[in-house]
Amino acid sequence: MNVEITDLTRRFGRNLAVAGVSLQTGPGVFGLLGPNGAGKTTLLRMMATVIPPSSGRLRLLGRDPGGYGPRREVRRRLGYLPQNLGYYPGFTVAEFVEYFALLKEMPTARVPAAVANAVERVDLGGRARAKLRTLSGGMLRRVGIAQAIVNEPELLLLDEPTAGLDPEQRVQFRALLRDLGQRATVVVSTHLVEDVGAACSQVALMDQGKIVFHGTPAELTARGTEHGTGDAPLERGYTAVLAAARS
Amino acid sequence: MSGPRNDAPDDVDLGRVWISVAGQVWRRQPGWLERTAGRLLRSPGLARALLTTPSLLLPWLLASVAVLAAGAAATLSSGQPLVALLAPAVAAAAIAYSYGPGIDPAWDLSCSMAISDRMVLLVRALAVFAVNTVLGLAASAVAAAVGLPAGSASGAAAVVTFGWLIPMTAVCAFALAVATMARSASVGAAAGVTAWLIIVLSGRVASGNFAAPVTDTVLFLPYLAVGAGCVVVALYATRIPRGTFS
Repeated sequence: MNVEITDLTRRFGRNLAVAGVSLQTGPGVFGLLGPNGAGKTTLLRMMATVIPPSSGRLRLLGRDPGGYGPRREVRRRLGYLPQNLGYYPGFTVAEFVEYFALLKEMPTARVPAAVANAVERVDLGGRARAKLRTLSGGMLRRVGIAQAIVNEPELLLLDEPTAGLDPEQRVQFRALLRDLGQRATVVVSTHLVEDVGAACSQVALMDQGKIVFHGTPAELTARGTEHGTGDAPLERGYTAVLAAARS
Repeated sequence: MSGPRNDAPDDVDLGRVWISVAGQVWRRQPGWLERTAGRLLRSPGLARALLTTPSLLLPWLLASVAVLAAGAAATLSSGQPLVALLAPAVAAAAIAYSYGPGIDPAWDLSCSMAISDRMVLLVRALAVFAVNTVLGLAASAVAAAVGLPAGSASGAAAVVTFGWLIPMTAVCAFALAVATMARSASVGAAAGVTAWLIIVLSGRVASGNFAAPVTDTVLFLPYLAVGAGCVVVALYATRIPRGTFS
């Protein structure tokens, strides 16, 4: 298992953002669904080793990221796209991706080809030397995806990766996700259920800091056959599970 | 999202060729300073972080200039070494924690990197103070050479340099060394502040004068020696273990 989480919690003052989450997952695309404020981003930030948990146990790629050495090893093998990707406006696309490849301690000789490959995979080859300040929101999102995959991570964490992408790009991105999921564990946090249905083999639904459903997209769809509301089968499953959790 | 274009005959992997060529064309060619820093730090990533992202580097330089000017003015006008005594500890602590979401636009992302954001922070701090120390020493040498009277601009630079910039550099280097060995920037910053407090209090006990650590010229060479030693320790602690990522 690349991700092993046991009873993980995270507090911000009095607010319990993540309340006793447990889950395990191996290679494949794992969808993390939930409404705004459900705790998805906080859970992902803990998995990205950006913030430590308040309590509970977290093992990533077979290591405990609580120690400096294991955390550094995990980070070398990690790809992370934050929900709010900040960028340096004076950098070009390639420079930005290269910068984070170096911060991930990739071997220097491998960096140029890895950067070119990542930039091409997000279809930004034609803008590789463009300054980031000249790019649209969707292009910046793809730059963020490129830096996340540049080191061919074993664990890829993507927070709202399709935000700002147009429909064609979202379809292409789902294909990329499926490809990446063949070798790595890809955790995608989103509130767009169609992304999960199209790309994920496993899905968890979070609400109020807790996981209220864990299964396959088909199992989630099945939950909505009687009580759910929504235009698509998966949406009906989503709303039915949420309603049951809140009742 | 697509892979590289590949319309070549079966015996030519044009996509692979394109990736190789594009990688070389698109890459940022490091200047001599970055290459030198990369060799010294044994980390191309740390060198890139040290010398790029000007949005971070510029505020540091401006802050250093501001602190330098304020310290010089206070020292010359009041004759009291209060700034000199506080500056090393304040600088070590403040700079250690001046790096965060409000400063670095990619802070969240930086926090997930193998080269930690705090390590980048401490190396930048050391670099800025080291540069300032070199500038101050140069100004002092010029002042001595031309024999300018006390109170002149170069004289002020000399006072600042020998009064607190050298101790500040030593404290920051010490904080960096402890941080790298203890693997925690918080521990490093705390150690730097604590060490400076001990030095100041020891000066008070030994000579009856709080200002001794910044006025006793005998200490300047030890400060520089400690600073250099701590840099060596930090370099050793931050070396990249061979064979861990192949």
